[in-house]
Amino acid sequence: MIRLIMNGLEVQAEEGWTLLQTARFYGLEIPTLCYHEGLSVFGGCRLCLVEIGEGSKARLVTSCTYPAEEGLIVHTDTKRVIAARRMMIELMLSVAPNSKTIQDLASKFGVTQVRFKIRNEECILCGLCVRMCAEQMDGRAIGFQNRGYRRKISTPFDLRSEECRLCGGCIYICPACQLRCQGPEAETAVCNACLTLDPTCLDYYNELQCWMYDAGRCGTCVREAREKKNTSAASKL
Amino acid sequence: MNPRKRVKKLRRLSELEDLINKEKEKREKETRPIISISSGTCGRARGSEKLTEAFKKAIRQENLQDKIILKSTGCHGFCEAEPNVIIYPEGIFYQKLAPKNAQEIIQRTILKGEIIDSFLYVDPTNGQKAIREGEISFYRKQRRIVLGANPLIDPLDIYDYFSIGGYSSLLKTLSSLSPEEVIETIKKSGLRGRGGAGFPTGKKWEFARAQKSELKYIICNADEGDPGAYMDRSLLEGNPHRVIEGMIIGAYAIGASEGYIYVRDEYPLAVANVSIALEQARKLGLLGENILGTGFNFDLHIAKGAGAFVCGEETALIASIEGRVGEPRQRPPYPAVKGLWGKPTVINNVETWGNVPIILEKGADWFASIGTNGSKGTKIFSLVGKINNTGLVEVPMGITLREIIFDIGGGIPQSRKFKAVQTGGPSGGCLPEKLIDLPIDYESLTQAGSIMGSGGMIVMDDRTCMVDVARYFLNFLRDESCGKCLSCREGTQRLWEIVTEITKGKGTMDHLALLEELAMAVKDASLCGLGQTAPNPVLSTLRYFRDEYEAHIKYKKCPALVCKDIISSPCHYICPIDQEASTYIALIAQGRFEEAYNVILKDNPLPSVCSRVCHHPCESVCRAGEGGEPIAIRALKRFVIDWAREHNIQPNIPSTEKSRERVAIIGAGPAGLTAGYYLSLRGFQVTIFDSLPQPGGWLIKGIPKHRLPRELLQRDIDNIIKTGIEIRTNATLGRDFSLADLFNQGFKAIFLATGAHRSIKLGIPGEEAEGVIQATELLKKINFGEKVELRGKIAIIGGGNAAIDAARVAIRNENCQKVIILYRRTINEMPAFKEEIESALEEGVEIQFLTAPKRIIVKEGKVIGLECLRMKLGEPDSSGRRRPIPIEGSEFIVDVNMVIPAIGERPDISYLQNVDRIQVTKEETIVVDRESFMTNLPGVFAGGDVVTGPATVVEAMAAGKKAAKTIEEYVSTGKIKMEYKLKRPSIWVEQVKLSEDELEKARRPKLTKISMKLRKSSFKEVEQGLSENQAILEAKRCLRCDLETEEAKMAMRREK
Repeated sequence: MIRLIMNGLEVQAEEGWTLLQTARFYGLEIPTLCYHEGLSVFGGCRLCLVEIGEGSKARLVTSCTYPAEEGLIVHTDTKRVIAARRMMIELMLSVAPNSKTIQDLASKFGVTQVRFKIRNEECILCGLCVRMCAEQMDGRAIGFQNRGYRRKISTPFDLRSEECRLCGGCIYICPACQLRCQGPEAETAVCNACLTLDPTCLDYYNELQCWMYDAGRCGTCVREAREKKNTSAASKL
Repeated sequence: MNPRKRVKKLRRLSELEDLINKEKEKREKETRPIISISSGTCGRARGSEKLTEAFKKAIRQENLQDKIILKSTGCHGFCEAEPNVIIYPEGIFYQKLAPKNAQEIIQRTILKGEIIDSFLYVDPTNGQKAIREGEISFYRKQRRIVLGANPLIDPLDIYDYFSIGGYSSLLKTLSSLSPEEVIETIKKSGLRGRGGAGFPTGKKWEFARAQKSELKYIICNADEGDPGAYMDRSLLEGNPHRVIEGMIIGAYAIGASEGYIYVRDEYPLAVANVSIALEQARKLGLLGENILGTGFNFDLHIAKGAGAFVCGEETALIASIEGRVGEPRQRPPYPAVKGLWGKPTVINNVETWGNVPIILEKGADWFASIGTNGSKGTKIFSLVGKINNTGLVEVPMGITLREIIFDIGGGIPQSRKFKAVQTGGPSGGCLPEKLIDLPIDYESLTQAGSIMGSGGMIVMDDRTCMVDVARYFLNFLRDESCGKCLSCREGTQRLWEIVTEITKGKGTMDHLALLEELAMAVKDASLCGLGQTAPNPVLSTLRYFRDEYEAHIKYKKCPALVCKDIISSPCHYICPIDQEASTYIALIAQGRFEEAYNVILKDNPLPSVCSRVCHHPCESVCRAGEGGEPIAIRALKRFVIDWAREHNIQPNIPSTEKSRERVAIIGAGPAGLTAGYYLSLRGFQVTIFDSLPQPGGWLIKGIPKHRLPRELLQRDIDNIIKTGIEIRTNATLGRDFSLADLFNQGFKAIFLATGAHRSIKLGIPGEEAEGVIQATELLKKINFGEKVELRGKIAIIGGGNAAIDAARVAIRNENCQKVIILYRRTINEMPAFKEEIESALEEGVEIQFLTAPKRIIVKEGKVIGLECLRMKLGEPDSSGRRRPIPIEGSEFIVDVNMVIPAIGERPDISYLQNVDRIQVTKEETIVVDRESFMTNLPGVFAGGDVVTGPATVVEAMAAGKKAAKTIEEYVSTGKIKMEYKLKRPSIWVEQVKLSEDELEKARRPKLTKISMKLRKSSFKEVEQGLSENQAILEAKRCLRCDLETEEAKMAMRREK
């Protein structure tokens, strides 16, 4: 057993556990995106950052890749961690604003603006599909190409790969294209509709009665309400 | 290695000992001269191979094959002087040689023992020649413990390495030290990783030693990828055995049996030399099984990298050797625990390995005595950029940046100003001038926001834009980031995007906050060293050069004139009155002269004046002037003005109804006239007051007619008055009326543009004598046609334009025998315009530099001579010019009849005595808000020389033009809001290119001057304008920088 201190609590981890596994075991929530229990760890999305060490030696590491070490001091939600996480979400949002997964992360972590030019690339290069293909489907049809800002995921030479059996595992696991954000057409790249805590239809219908099971979160009523407001404003003129 | 030599494998330690001693003895006994040719990659690029061939030929010709040893060695470090040779035993250093020099060196230096002067190194700072290597300032402060052997040995010959005691550290290690003792020695020496992070080497080895594993590896990291850094290459090329020896010792210490040298394929010479060296070491039994009979097995291989920057990171490097994509992984486990193929691995940089044999040879204490508390030994830096002595320098840790840049580096070329130095390559930081006395070690650099890195050191001068530097490095990093981490891949891309926006003048102040926030996140959230240091260029430039970012964002200015989309064309950008030089030049090239005339007139109410006397800042920044001759912009303007006059084209001045408020302008000089012109065009009722009988200010009073014909001046002034300005001459503020009077009369705003007309006195005895006349007084009298009695020999004191004007006026007087200008500094510091100085010299004016007057010798009230002192130049003063210091006892007497002081003018603000509320400076200039030109008194504005002190015509006009805008705002709204825009041409004109033939011949035209006889006897205009053909040809020579911006490219595409 490895003993370490997490958010001030003395916790124990089994040999070979990562910090993320340890935190989850104790019910400490750490957001992840490129992490999947059934796949190898990657450490690319930088969402699961935690702060280790103390004072001037303190630094941020990805909890999904960092092994639990004896006596390590870990904080999962410091200001520094949250600032970095928010920036990561903002960066993801700027390249894949149509992903509901990322929009929900933005809502959850209070990211209310995107200050970068939107690129609509619909891919955040988390590599889940690459690992899914290789590790679960034994396909190895896709992989990373190039480096830096030219990096992309594709088949060798961008040709249809004979390894690909069209199993769809890549699409199944993709956080960017699997679930599209279908909320109201937001004026900015940040939708912030689904996970915001004040149900907007309450103002409108005076009752939480939405045909979607989770009232108000779809945001449809927001759009309708806005349209109504606009028309009423127009009729006044 | 001599191929004929039979190589016998060394089987015992004693055999190696014998071999080393034998080779050492051979070197000691060697009496023949050795010619060592620097032939690393940089030397070869400058032709060292041809030089070697030439030497061989020359030696054959003289039949000296057995009497001279010729060595083609690795880099000597002094890249600026390549190709260079050092001739031993004397150590004579010859630089920048051509193959044809070889014979001369053999014949004169080798055979006759002469020193050939013309091949010696000349110190750029003091002009002194250095004969020996050690006398050269570049080498003097260095301590070349690692690189020092480069000139001594042939890198392809292992025996040469033996002869300087090579492999004796290995011998000592294997024969008398246990691995633990080796590690202890390295730990005690304080050696830290030279690759950048500075991890203690001994500690790393200890970790690896402690691992229980059958197989262990060691790796030499030679993946040197920083732009402008090449110390690892030079060591591998010039002394591969030293690195190999270090690695064998390291392997012995940690118990490794295999090693790799990871070197990038772009270093073919290093790869070749290391391969040969490995082969030789293997043949001699220094690598392989049972090394020297000790039972220790170790072999080394070369792994060639494809050149990805990130592969310098140790885990990425390991991945690359294993054949995977070079991407870093999470540490721990550290390579010392789990490295190459999962085995304990020690990775050290080339320079670190190179230090190991030296530490073992000379001892840990000796090594630890060099350097600072936390950083021991020396560090090799590659000193590049805007520096005189480009090269590799090896210096003890703790040396200051100043010593490296100015003592070793020889300072900045062309005596420009040092601005910053980037240490640690692209992910290092820019350190500003104020940190130049920073002692360099790992800690101090990190504290200052930079890193040691592998030792790149890029020096920048005042023509480097720091925002552009940040953009450049970010571009490198966004390309070289492996792309695994979102923070680094997307972060560097976004940082680059934002900084690029700023360099285009499209930045906002919010961008700066965002840059900082994002940079901190990238630093925090990234996995490896690349991402963690990638924001350093942005953060350090933001920390030290924030004002430059703000200039780009707020004022749309790039102070270093680099950012293309802000500058557009430098001539237009730099012009204080925003003259669209590039546009009118383009129109001239197309023969559209009238349009060119209107373009000039749009921004300049005094075009004829400017076409004669402007000091043309546009020409000094002209891009054609970088490495060539600048476009003759003033001459082109003059051509258009003269053409318009000849063709009787009247300026198109719109008539406006004068329905707006009254504005008073005091002073009808360039500032006042310009302000009046623009205010009048905007519908204000403008009255200009001037104490002189005619409007024109300094233009009419101070500038002689031979430079500015009066009919031209009059034409400009008439056109200004025609806009509906009332001019009241002989009206002096303070004497005839006061500021309060003006406000009472209904003037809503007052613009003070009274110039600087009061001469400064010399303050030496005898100044009151007859024959002493102030230059301003003299010029005024002559310009207004009054008689001035000039006689005999005349001394003019000063170096400004007034001094030259006075001299040229005096020499035109028939009673004048001789005119001497006495100036206390040298021609380089002289503030007068260069062409004026030349013209004065042509006309026979003498100039004595480094001379200052001490006393005017007076007899019977008249001047009969001038006692002077010789001066020398000292340290630069606040104006940046070197301060003159009198040489004691150097007094001498100049025989003169008249003395004309012209040491400067000051504003005469005695009229403000009653209005003491207006703030003035010690120099008696008026204090105004820099942007709005308003004084502390609401409604009272000031501009021109009365604010700046004596300056140029065009600067005064600029003040008038800008003040007109703020006065308008103030009068109509009561508030002043400044707005800054990018300067862009008002119309896009297509480029007319020169044909190849024309381009070959095209030269900047020289203006013809009237005959010397006419010059000396009259005040006729000296310079004559260009002909139409000349003008068109010159205009076509323009590079058209204004078409380089994004907007321009779009506009030109539209037109097509």
